[in-house]
Amino acid sequence: MTEPVAPPPDRPDASPPAEVTERPHPLTPLIRGWVVLLAVIIAFGRDYLPIGREPQPLPPLQFLLGAVGVVAAASGIAGYFSWRFTRFVIDAEKLRIDSGVLFRRSQRVAFDKVQSIDVVQPLAARLFGLAELQIDVGSHERPKLRYLSRARAYALRDYLLARAKGVQAEADAASDSTSVLVDLGAQDEVLVRVPPQVLLLAAATSHEFWSIMATGVVAAVIGITFNQPWLVLVIAIPTASTLIGFVGRRVTSQFNYTLSRRAHGLRISRGLTSLTSQSLPPRRVQAVQISQSPVWRRLGLYRIDLEVIGWGHVTDNENKTGVSTILLPAGTIAQVRVALAALWPRADFESVELHQPPARARWLHPLAQPFLRWGHDDALVVSRHGWLVRRWQVVPHARIQSVRITQGMVSRTLGLAGLEFHTAGGQIMPHAPGLDAAHVLERQSELLRLVHHPAEVDVSDADPGQADAGPEALRADHAEDTISSSE
Amino acid sequence: MSDLFTPTADWQRLSPAYATVRRLGALVYNLVATGIVCLGTSFFLDWRWVVAAAVAGLSWTLWRVIRAGRWVRSFGYAERAEDLLITRGLWNKELTAIPYGRMLSVNVESGPIERAWGLAKVQLVTASIHSAGHIPGLSQADAAALRDRLIVAGEAQALPL
Repeated sequence: MTEPVAPPPDRPDASPPAEVTERPHPLTPLIRGWVVLLAVIIAFGRDYLPIGREPQPLPPLQFLLGAVGVVAAASGIAGYFSWRFTRFVIDAEKLRIDSGVLFRRSQRVAFDKVQSIDVVQPLAARLFGLAELQIDVGSHERPKLRYLSRARAYALRDYLLARAKGVQAEADAASDSTSVLVDLGAQDEVLVRVPPQVLLLAAATSHEFWSIMATGVVAAVIGITFNQPWLVLVIAIPTASTLIGFVGRRVTSQFNYTLSRRAHGLRISRGLTSLTSQSLPPRRVQAVQISQSPVWRRLGLYRIDLEVIGWGHVTDNENKTGVSTILLPAGTIAQVRVALAALWPRADFESVELHQPPARARWLHPLAQPFLRWGHDDALVVSRHGWLVRRWQVVPHARIQSVRITQGMVSRTLGLAGLEFHTAGGQIMPHAPGLDAAHVLERQSELLRLVHHPAEVDVSDADPGQADAGPEALRADHAEDTISSSE
Repeated sequence: MSDLFTPTADWQRLSPAYATVRRLGALVYNLVATGIVCLGTSFFLDWRWVVAAAVAGLSWTLWRVIRAGRWVRSFGYAERAEDLLITRGLWNKELTAIPYGRMLSVNVESGPIERAWGLAKVQLVTASIHSAGHIPGLSQADAAALRDRLIVAGEAQALPL
């Protein structure tokens, strides 16, 4: 940063630098064709395996291999052309992706509209050291670049994130994260890491696991009572495979889960077969839900889900690729603290004073009443409910869109009322049930006052003294950076 | 009157004509729905079921027609200094407060039946789909005036998203 100089209004003498277009990695058609080939082999190859099956009249093997060859060649040629016609430009001026063979398409994205960037590496791509770049611009459709070499994808990701924050950076700067297993560089500060054995333990003790198990057991008991023991076997096999699939999916998709922080924000990297690395924009997080399955109370484990604008549904079952709204798949209370402090450095959800609803709320919430709590400080609203699965819902006042008091017929006779806090998105619905109706109006006006008069600095911004200041502060720096770099 | 769902404020009520619109709407919608259900049951079940379905449908229609007046009288809105209050409901009551600064846009809509009575509906859009800030049954002039007041207040008090 040099001394601020007034920017020249235009730079007529500075001729625009030649546009450097790039192509995705030349192996791209191979990787995309691979999936088609695999599907064909699985579909037809099964018939040739003599596994407990009547031998069927099959077409000669040569004929079939020929057909597979034609399909593979066709998909290869199509892939080649689509690769050939895909070009992208990412330089100091713009971000543009041109694609399409017959129907040409040119996407251009404004740098400051980039919300977050995910680097996804499916297994086939990963074997060749390739990665896909997904750019989240806040709309449903995400511009994608596939496939790039891993190092290039990470470098572009870091560059675009820096630009999104308003920092003028070098597009060619190589990223320092080159490992196959995780996406971590020397500058990264690891905040939370969940080892696979914790994931395994958490999955096997989660309430989802027990509910699948319970369904199987109930079905088996019905089978035995009706004296049909063969039913037990019929039920046991799919139940077991569902359970194994469930645990396997949880462990592989969240394998090596790492939450890390670097200069340009938070990042989650996870996955065994396919490695996903997504950046997390704290300003777009609307609400947080911490939940705890019954057995997890003994183990001291928690899980954190997020509601983020533009990320779509809150994911219950962890899908392997693409965005996941899980901030912490399973972790101790210390890890919960670290993760939430990284998200909202200016707030502490544990210091919020919680109030117990009146004892008569037991009539309406017979099992949950002892656990029901809610409260707020000047940054957060915290509400606690649930009976088997305990849930803490945390919303910053700065994200509340409207506040509603509700009262049904039973609540009215008991003198109770509930509060709902509406946030953008609306998957996690933060609410506080069973409050004393006499005071709920005061609570509502108190909350509204806090919504109207937000703190000077957003809850997700760190202290202004630190290097990692909020977007506004960086944008102010940006003005100077641009000037000095243009001279 | 000041209770939990109508705290002290300058409450505005809906146009009484809206009760008629609501009755008509309920009548048309419920009778068509009842007709379809009766037709469906006549294919699969004997006449007793058809009669039962018709009786159920008609009594539901009658109930909605009778309740329409009370429902409309229960609905109210108040423009306070910094937010809009909307109260509604008979059995399940609600009091929603929407800060002006959170409004993204304000629309005025009116269907064919509403238009025949010169009524319109004001729809407040916030970033949350649960805010449900709609005020039906205003005269068209009132609706346009309310929309303009809300937009001005929203611009003056805009809050960062």
